[in-house]
Amino acid sequence: MIDATVVELSRMQFALTALYHFLFVPLTLGMTVMLAAMETVYFITGKPIYKEMTQFWGKLFGINFAIGVATGLTMEFEFGTNWSMYSHFVGDVFGTPLAIEGLMAFFLESTFVGLMFFGWDRLSRPAHLAVTYLVALGSNLSALWILIANGFMQDPVGALFDPDTMRMEFTSFSDLVFSEDAQAKFVHTSIAGFVCAAMFMMGISAYYLLTRRHREFAARSFRMAALVGVIASLAVITLGDALGRADYLLQAPKIAAMEGIWDTTKPPYEPWKLIALPNDAAQRDLFSFGLPYVLTPLVTHTFDKPIPGILELESDAKPRIVRGIQAVLALHAYATTRDPVALAVFRQNESDMGYGLLAQRFAPDQDLAKITAAELPTILDLTARETIPNVFVEFWSFRIMVALGFAFLAVFAFGAYYSLRNRLERHPFLLKLTMWSIPLPILATEFGWITAENGRQPWTVFGWLPTFQSASSHALGYMLFSLIGFALLYSSFIAAELYLMFKFARLGPEGRAAHAPPQPGPTLAGAPGYADKPWQ
Amino acid sequence: MKTLIKFLGLAGVLFLALLLAVVAGDYGPWYFAWLVGTTMIILIAAAGAVLMETQTSSGRRDEEF
Ligand code: HEM
Repeated sequence: MIDATVVELSRMQFALTALYHFLFVPLTLGMTVMLAAMETVYFITGKPIYKEMTQFWGKLFGINFAIGVATGLTMEFEFGTNWSMYSHFVGDVFGTPLAIEGLMAFFLESTFVGLMFFGWDRLSRPAHLAVTYLVALGSNLSALWILIANGFMQDPVGALFDPDTMRMEFTSFSDLVFSEDAQAKFVHTSIAGFVCAAMFMMGISAYYLLTRRHREFAARSFRMAALVGVIASLAVITLGDALGRADYLLQAPKIAAMEGIWDTTKPPYEPWKLIALPNDAAQRDLFSFGLPYVLTPLVTHTFDKPIPGILELESDAKPRIVRGIQAVLALHAYATTRDPVALAVFRQNESDMGYGLLAQRFAPDQDLAKITAAELPTILDLTARETIPNVFVEFWSFRIMVALGFAFLAVFAFGAYYSLRNRLERHPFLLKLTMWSIPLPILATEFGWITAENGRQPWTVFGWLPTFQSASSHALGYMLFSLIGFALLYSSFIAAELYLMFKFARLGPEGRAAHAPPQPGPTLAGAPGYADKPWQ
Repeated sequence: MKTLIKFLGLAGVLFLALLLAVVAGDYGPWYFAWLVGTTMIILIAAAGAVLMETQTSSGRRDEEF
């Protein structure tokens, strides 16, 4: 028997560690790209201030990177310790991108991070620039492999279930890598990281401008960050739309929950709910207010296609559950007898196997063979409802992310405008707003992950493997102990990060580099052109 | 000789970039968009900084930002 509490605790533990880990990841993804941009300017102009900028922001990136890696390490092991059924079921497919990520993160990224930090005096200027670019590429490439793995959980392409080994096996590596969902996920997530880094740099620069310290440094950092921020937030919005469309095509219950669609929509009037109070138990909204004619084009990119509502999706799921139960029973028979007839029955219903596994939770003694004809309708009802993720959580986490996305665009746009006109210091309110906005993009990414992962429920592998069947069979005490342990350990990591970040940000870029004479070396402007017009 | 090697090296990089663009463009349009978009983001940020150098006269400490 599977203990539901152990499954819930395993879920809590994964959610906790993943959300903690992702407090660090986006800054790493974005800061490396910002460092590449700053060092490019240093390379082009030869002005030492850009070297100083790269080094100072690089130091903050380094703190974040080190703690981020520490929080990520445990997660890879968690699949094996807490999700052993899942690991058995998809290890063949899922392990590959994870292994590549390990190689990328530890060998490529870490090697070049070391060279980037310690190579300033040892490498030539072009070589150091190349290293910084490789760090940016490496950090984003390691994210790519994690997102490919996650893409597989959302849309399992490139693999088939093998009844002999009882697990999913690889059929196509390129299908996995180029899956529509993985692609859209990677671009959205990576660029969300750029948004986080841009706000981080802009906010700290705003603090310097407000306190009138390191003004030249801050004005340049602010300008670069604001420009990255404008483009990145525009991109995150458009790519978010692409991701929503992928969900519409591939994960109907997720999009229905995200938009709070209980009844199948009636295009083109159907309003897009700006705010609502979805009640999961009653399967309706307690209150809603929306903008008419917006939902259909937003989700379907047409004016006439209806979007299936939750109630319709539930009734559509019922025949799949019946076929799924047949598939699982046939699979059990085949596993013990190797009977070709059982195999044929399984093959016939194979694509619905996951729905049978889902029904197992509600069967007497969690045994599908024990379901009687009288019990079947109740089990179908319960399982059908189970196919829908929590609507309240999905609806609001999506809305918070989207609202923040538009707010960031406005902040970046004003920031870029006043920076380009050199009028920033006349707008202390904007500077304060930017400073206080530093944590918000990271918060948006957390809500993004809640949207993506809550929306995938009740599956670990969408349509194939229910979360309920994926966990290891640990004792309750062990799960509680490790959960509390992780919460304490990771909270101490966050405290360390905040302490170090505040300390070094307050200290500011008062390094030697600012006062060192310009180093001779090749520049695009022609060596030693910069020396004619030193920065100060 | 040195110039030739440099030229061949750059030609190699260009060839690889084109190959990557064709493969990514064909099979992974969003990956391709990321490559082009990120490069563009870096260049625009760099252009903004270079513009600032022309806007500000270096050495002046009472400059407004
Ligand atoms: C109008 C703006 C936005 C839209 C339409 C949008 C759309 C989406 C959608 C549909 C998902 C769910 C993906 C899935 O099903 O797996 C998602 C996830 C996510 N979003 Fe957003 N988003 C927007 C803004 C943002 C912003 C501003 C950030 C952060 C700065 C962000 C970060 C994320 C992250 C980290 C995820 C989880 C990873 C993923 O699935 O890609 N999003 N977004």
